[in-house]
Amino acid sequence: MRPFNPQFILDVIPNLLPFLWVTLSVVLGTVFFGSLLGFVLARAKLSQKPLYCWLADGYIYIIRCTPSIVLLFIVFYGLPKFCLEVFDMDINGYEKIFFVLVTFTLLFAAPISEVMRSAYEAIDHGQYEAAVSIGLTPWQAFYHIILPQATVVALPNFGNSVIELMKEGSLAYTIGLVDLIGKGQLIISQNYGAYALETYLPLAFIYLLLTLGVEKSFLRLEHAFSRQKKAA
Amino acid sequence: MDINYQFLIKTFYLVLAAVPTTLNITAVSLLIAMPLAFYLAVIRLRPGKYIQIIISGYITFVRGTPIVLQILIIYSILPSFLNSVAKGFALEVNVFDWNPIIYAYIVFSLNTTALLCEVFRSALASINKGQLEAALCAGMTTVQAYRHIIVPQALVVAMPNICNITVKLIKGTSLAFLMTVKDMTAVAKIAASYGYNYIEAYMDVFAGYVIVCSVVQVAFAFAERHVGKFRFIK
Repeated sequence: MRPFNPQFILDVIPNLLPFLWVTLSVVLGTVFFGSLLGFVLARAKLSQKPLYCWLADGYIYIIRCTPSIVLLFIVFYGLPKFCLEVFDMDINGYEKIFFVLVTFTLLFAAPISEVMRSAYEAIDHGQYEAAVSIGLTPWQAFYHIILPQATVVALPNFGNSVIELMKEGSLAYTIGLVDLIGKGQLIISQNYGAYALETYLPLAFIYLLLTLGVEKSFLRLEHAFSRQKKAA
Repeated sequence: MDINYQFLIKTFYLVLAAVPTTLNITAVSLLIAMPLAFYLAVIRLRPGKYIQIIISGYITFVRGTPIVLQILIIYSILPSFLNSVAKGFALEVNVFDWNPIIYAYIVFSLNTTALLCEVFRSALASINKGQLEAALCAGMTTVQAYRHIIVPQALVVAMPNICNITVKLIKGTSLAFLMTVKDMTAVAKIAASYGYNYIEAYMDVFAGYVIVCSVVQVAFAFAERHVGKFRFIK
C-alpha cells in the first residue's frame, strides 16, 4: 500500500476551494426555486378541491420514493428530448448546472411543501379570522400575520431539508458538473487515480464545515425569530 | 417523444431481477446496523466523557458528509488496506476477487448505524426512567428489563423514523453502482449503454424504486400497527 501523503491534502485544498461557489450556487438556486414550487404544492395540498390535493399528495409520495441519482439521470437524458419534441426547443447545449437545478428543485419541493404545510397548520386558524375581521385582505392577513409565525415553526425543519439537499447535491458530479466533488474527481484522474484518499478527505472536511455552518446559522435565525416573538 | 417500448418492457424485467440485490444490501445493512446502533444509543445515554466524544464525532461525520463521499472514501482505501492486512498475515486470499457487495454492506451499515443511533437514543430517552427502575425493583435483570419493558415501548416511538431511514437506505443503495455492485441502477445503466436508451432504462429504475419503497412502507405500516399495542397509556 502506498504511504499516506498528508502534504498532498494541503496542496489540494486551494485547487478545490474555487469550486465551492458552484456547489453553493446549486444549493442557493435550488432553495429559491424549490421553495417556490414547494409553496405551490403546499397551497395545492391545503386547497378545498380534492383533485389538487390528490395531485400534490401523489407528487410528494413519488418523490419520496425516488433516489436523487435516478431523477438526475432522467432529467439529464429526458428533458432535452422532451423539450425538443413538445416545445421544439433545443436545450442540448445548456449548461449542466441547469439540469442539476431542475432535478434538485423537483426533489427539494416535496419535503419543503410538507414543512410549509405543517407550519401553516400549526398556526391557529383564529389568527387568520381575527386579521380578516379587522379589515385586512386575505393576502395581507397571510403576509403580515400568518407568515411570520409560521416561519418560526418551519425554520428547524427547513434547515434540515437544506442540509439534506446540500448532501444530495454532491451527486451532481455524476452528470459531469464540475463542482467540489467534480473537481476532486478531475484532480484524481489527473494523477492517474493516485491520491484518491488525500483528495476525498479534504472534500469530506469541507462538506462537514458547510453542514455545521448551515446548522449553526439556522439555530441563530431561530433564536433571533423567537426572541422577536417573545418581545411581542 | 419516441420511446422504445420494447426496450422499456425488456429492461423492466431486467431491473426487477436486480431487486433482490437492492433488498439484500438493505437487509444486511439493517441487520448489522440495528444491534450496533442500539448498543451505541445505550452507551450515549450513560455518563462517560471520552466515549461520548468519539461516538458523537462519528455521528457528526456521517450526518455531515454526503453518502457519495463516504462510498468513495471507503471504496478507495478499504480494498488495498484489506489486501495489505491479508499480505501481512501471509493469508492466501486475494481481496480483489471478493464480491464488491461486501464494501456496500460496510458503507451502508456504517452510515445507517449513525442515523439509527440517534433515532434509538431519542426513543429510549422518551421512556420514563421509572420504567427501568420499576422493572429492576421487580427483580428483572437489566437485559430482561430492556427486552420486555423498555424496547417494546421505545419501538412504538422509533418505528416511523426507522421506516424513514429504511426508505432512505433503499434509495441510497442506488449509489452502490459506484462500487461496481450490480444493483437496479447498474443493470439498467449497462442495458442502456448498448443502444443509448438511457431514458427508458432510468424510467424502469424509477418505477422499480417506487414499487420497492411502496411495498416497504406498507410493511412498516403493518409493523407499526403491531407494535402499537405496546403504547404506554397514562
